Amino acid sequence: MEKPYILHMFTPEKNLSPFDVNMALDAGWTSAVPYLHVEPGEVQGLVQDAIFSRSPAGVKRTGIFIGGRDARMAVDMVRGARKSMVPPFEVSVFADPSGAFTTAAAMVAVVERELETRFHMDLTGKKVLCLGGTGPVGQIAATLAAKAGAMVKIIGRQLEKAQAISTLCDTEFGDGTTQIEGDADANKSTLILDTDIVFATAAAGIQVLSAELVAAAPQLKVAADVNAVPPSGIAGLDAHHRGHPIEGSQSGAVGVGALAIGNIKYKTQSALLKRMRESDSPVYLSFDDAFEMAREFASKL
Amino acid sequence: MEKSEKRSVLHMLDPMPHVSPFDINMAVDAGFDLIFPYDNVQPEQVNGLVQDAIFSRGPAGVKRTGIFIGGRDIGIALNMLETAKNAMVPPFVISVLADPSGAFTTAAALVACVEKQLKVRHGDELKGAQAVVFGGTGPVGIATGVIASLAGANVTIVDPFNIDVALDKAREYNSRCGSKLVGTYASSDADKARLVAQADIVFCTAKAGVQVLNASVLSDAVQLKVAGDVNAVPPLGIEGIKRMHNGEPMIHTVNSTSAVGIGALAVGDIKYKLQNALLASLLTTETPLYLDFRAAFDQARNLV
Repeated sequence: MEKPYILHMFTPEKNLSPFDVNMALDAGWTSAVPYLHVEPGEVQGLVQDAIFSRSPAGVKRTGIFIGGRDARMAVDMVRGARKSMVPPFEVSVFADPSGAFTTAAAMVAVVERELETRFHMDLTGKKVLCLGGTGPVGQIAATLAAKAGAMVKIIGRQLEKAQAISTLCDTEFGDGTTQIEGDADANKSTLILDTDIVFATAAAGIQVLSAELVAAAPQLKVAADVNAVPPSGIAGLDAHHRGHPIEGSQSGAVGVGALAIGNIKYKTQSALLKRMRESDSPVYLSFDDAFEMAREFASKL
Repeated sequence: MEKSEKRSVLHMLDPMPHVSPFDINMAVDAGFDLIFPYDNVQPEQVNGLVQDAIFSRGPAGVKRTGIFIGGRDIGIALNMLETAKNAMVPPFVISVLADPSGAFTTAAALVACVEKQLKVRHGDELKGAQAVVFGGTGPVGIATGVIASLAGANVTIVDPFNIDVALDKAREYNSRCGSKLVGTYASSDADKARLVAQADIVFCTAKAGVQVLNASVLSDAVQLKVAGDVNAVPPLGIEGIKRMHNGEPMIHTVNSTSAVGIGALAVGDIKYKLQNALLASLLTTETPLYLDFRAAFDQARNLV
């Protein structure tokens, strides 16, 4: 009998996300085992315990998923897990805290796709506002867009926090290749004047871009919103939108709604969970891998 | 599998923050369909959890249900096993295996491997043998000492620093398990040499990556027959015993030339098979089993 697939699911939080557990089981993992309240210092011990009790064939059918709510902690935990491997006892690891890596990857990939099909442009040099961008989805979306060549500003209610988060993205996620800036919500009406792209990644139910600001954006091309719960984060944009014109836009901007993003996010997360199982050598999957995968799915839209 | 057969469930109870991923892998590979970890379980919760587990599946279902007790402390695990056993309400009874830190299966495998070499190489047995357990106050060391003592060896458990720890552990486990452990400490090579000089058997169950006995200490052995080491991380515990050794002559025991060594991977191979067999037996048994180091040693003797 072939060995079952075992996914050890670590989270620093008090619960795993049921979303991720469902995804893992549907992606073919036989057993999904939760580890709650995991501290970064415990990762090495847990990983080394996980890798040594199965034969090399069993090790290939063993994986580690890292959840939680904090992007930086998840990235650190992947790094720690990777360092703890003792080849040939080595298993695949995939981090997707709050689903943020796959959600952000899907959003940036779909926006990039719309930019290409509607405007024949790519992200290089585009001015991006990441509204409500201080959370994990905003952090990773900003990072991925910046790595793809865009000029990104993370916008939050507090200037200091937005600036601190942008520095965090540059140092922890951007590999020293990004120069993300932070700015305050209060300056949106000025910033929107030369913005090409808007990501709305605020909490559900908060409108971060009003109808007035949509109308006042002379070069807005694509706006995307990850919020599926009304009211929409961007006025005139519907959760079902996938390249539909945004009502009230003077510049012919198109919208990408939460369901279009969610579709690609779902496929991306599922594909990465499957890749962990099927890969012949161990893989360490983070937001860059999620983006690559999301681009593949977006290109088929 | 017949469609009507219920899926097998293993409830894994652990006093520590996390059930060991090692044990979870082992349980899945031994055939359990569903694994449920219970973290931070306090001893007083065991009765309630066990009774909650036994009443929901019917007599056929309880045979497909098991409990595993982990953790790091063998005293707590033995208490939890006892509580679990007493919590059963016939005919609602399920099998329980305790193996905290893998100590019971590791110790059982170590002693069984040593016993086999003692017989094969020296025509001797554990009964009456002088045995010393270095790293003897940790979970694997205590379990090793108790198993060897119950098999008739005269066992000294050795703490690397503290005589009181060794005396306390010996007293505690003698009263709990009926063994006759003696406690001592050895912080210097001279202390170790003195103990090695009187030993027929040396068990090394110290921390991974620490050499406990060097060539010079080993040259003081005058009646040593078998030495076994469970440390798989270099530097290994006993100089000259390699991880794969399983009865190879020891090169540094110049005054005990017939002594043979057993390394961590030889022990680990038996430990792995043993833990797998014990877990699988929870599902195949007709009458409920309550398995600790004693059952582990019986089974390990069959395996070697």
